[in-house]
Amino acid sequence: MKSTAIGILAILLVSAFCVLLLLTVDYHGARGGTDNPYLAAGASETGAVNLVSGIYLNYRLYDSLFELLIFSMAVLGVRFYLNAEKSTKPNVARVAESPVVRIAADLLFGPIMLIGVYLIVFGHLSPGGGFSGGAVGGTGLLLCAAALGAEVVARRFHEQIIEQIEWGILLLIILFAVAPIFFDRLPLTDLLPSGRVGKLLSGGTIPIYNGLIGIKVFIGTWVVIYSFIRHRGEI
Amino acid sequence: MDVANGVTIAVILFGVGIFALIIRRDLVIKLLALGLIDSSSVLFLVSLNAQDNGIAPIVHGPGANYVDPLPQALVISAIVINFALLALALVFVMLLVERYHTTDSLRIAQQVEREKRS
Repeated sequence: MKSTAIGILAILLVSAFCVLLLLTVDYHGARGGTDNPYLAAGASETGAVNLVSGIYLNYRLYDSLFELLIFSMAVLGVRFYLNAEKSTKPNVARVAESPVVRIAADLLFGPIMLIGVYLIVFGHLSPGGGFSGGAVGGTGLLLCAAALGAEVVARRFHEQIIEQIEWGILLLIILFAVAPIFFDRLPLTDLLPSGRVGKLLSGGTIPIYNGLIGIKVFIGTWVVIYSFIRHRGEI
Repeated sequence: MDVANGVTIAVILFGVGIFALIIRRDLVIKLLALGLIDSSSVLFLVSLNAQDNGIAPIVHGPGANYVDPLPQALVISAIVINFALLALALVFVMLLVERYHTTDSLRIAQQVEREKRS
């Protein structure tokens, strides 16, 4: 009886909250067209055709740096807490090796990695970018781990070094963000010329940030996946 | 204004997520509700600036009806942070389940009380 009353109260409160949210939505806040400052000058100012990357790696790079820091902290947390519980024995039997998965992994691993690299390299010209490309690469490694076993992939990947690479890349990104100060320029993005809009070598620092973030997300995704797999025993 | 647009659906999903977060005692369901809330906020941001004939903000010349790129740039942050948050929260749920052998938050609280007293 008591729980029913609480349920009805919760439904009423949540519906009131939703109605309040719907009433306060301002449909005219987002603007398209030429009166939008990002659309009017974004491509020429940042050098990136893809304005979304232009915003999150140029105008709002400060946000993206802290977002990356949050991602790194989460990866560190997953590693730390899952490795702390060493006492639990792996009690899950290895899934029987399936030729279907093995052949599919053989066929798909190359294309998946290629798509990941493409998304990273062309992040400033077409849909994509460091985060999505890195996540695609991490998914390819997951497929490999499902086919070959996680330990085989981890041995090829040299786990201790990879952790140092991950933190080294974070340091590199921060160094790269403050580097313009030493050349009497504004920090964060003012290091390279923006180049001719639409070419591969354009966008100033955006392709470099895309590449660094891509490698970092790739390694981070794999570390999260591998921590979960090892904690459970096998995939 | 059409009522059944993305914003309305997003707010309804948000409400369902908050409701499940309050009412359900299962920790895994609570995490799913958290994921639902995040997805609803992504849908909200993207559909808020959707236009009828709008195209993606990848500029190939002036004059076309591009949509505002700012909400889409915010969505990237939302997705990455949600991934990080869910992975970390899942780890904590796993540790709690290994220790107390239940995903019921009320039972876990009772067992913690009992441990404190003894």
